[in-house]
Amino acid sequence: MATVSYEELIPGYEFPAVSYELTSSLISKYLRAVDSLNELEVLRKFVPPLAIAAYAMAAMAGSLSLPPGSIHASQELEFFKLVPIGAVINCQAKVARKLTRGKLHMLVLELNVFDQSNEKVQSGKATVMLPA
Amino acid sequence: MLTKIHEGTAIPSTVKHITQERINLYAEASGDFNPIHVDESFAVQTPLGGTIAHGMLILAYISEMMALALGQSWFAGGKLSVRFKLPARPGDTVTITGRVDSIKDKNGVSYANCSLECHNQKDEIIVVGEAVIKFPEGES
Repeated sequence: MATVSYEELIPGYEFPAVSYELTSSLISKYLRAVDSLNELEVLRKFVPPLAIAAYAMAAMAGSLSLPPGSIHASQELEFFKLVPIGAVINCQAKVARKLTRGKLHMLVLELNVFDQSNEKVQSGKATVMLPA
Repeated sequence: MLTKIHEGTAIPSTVKHITQERINLYAEASGDFNPIHVDESFAVQTPLGGTIAHGMLILAYISEMMALALGQSWFAGGKLSVRFKLPARPGDTVTITGRVDSIKDKNGVSYANCSLECHNQKDEIIVVGEAVIKFPEGES
C-alpha cells in the first residue's frame, strides 16, 4: 500500500478506507493481547469497542508514514452500537488538523467506523505527537 | 457490575501489570509495530529512554473497567476522552480508577459523567480523562 508522509498531509486529506472482517479468531487474539478478564457476557457475541478503535487506527496507519517515535497524545472515542463478532466494518480516517508549536508537530486525525448497513458504529479523534 | 450508580459512586478499579511481552502481543494484535513500542535499541535512543506501551492498550484497560462496572451500555453509548500524560513502561503496574461526577437527564436519557485516572506504581498520573455513558432515564 502506498504511504503518505506527514509533510504531504493537509487538513481534509482522506486516507483510503479499509474494511475488516471481525472474525472470532481476530477478536480472540485481541482479547489475549489486552489481558481481558473475559468476565463479560457481552464479549461472547460482540466486539469490544477498543478492538474496533485499534483496527481503525491500524487502517489509517497502514497508509501513513510517520517518523519512528511518534506517540499518541490524546484520544477521543464514542461508541454508538454493538458490533457482533463476524461483522465487517469499514474504517475511514481523515486529517482534521496539523499543528506546529515551535519544534513540536502534532497531527489530529478523525476516525469513523461503519458497519455493513453503513450505520456509524464508532467515531473518534486521535492526536499524534511527532518527535522533534 | 454496579447495580445502581449515583453522583460520587466509585467505579471499581482495574490493576494491570505492563510487560514487554504484553506490549509485543498488543503490537501483533493491532498491527502497530511503531519501534517506540517494540524496539528497545531504537527506543533507548529517544527522549523516552526505552519502550513504552501503546496508548490504545491503556485505553483498552480503561474500557474494560467501564464495561465491567456499567455493562453493555458502555459498548453502545459510551464516550471517552483522555490525555496521555506519561508513558506506561514495561515493569509498570497501572491502576485505573474512575468516579461518577454527575448524572444529568435529558429527553428521557440519563448521562453519567465520570472522571478517570490511570496511575503507575509511583503514583504518577499517566492518563487522565473523562467518560460519559448513557442509560434510559431511571435505569442508572
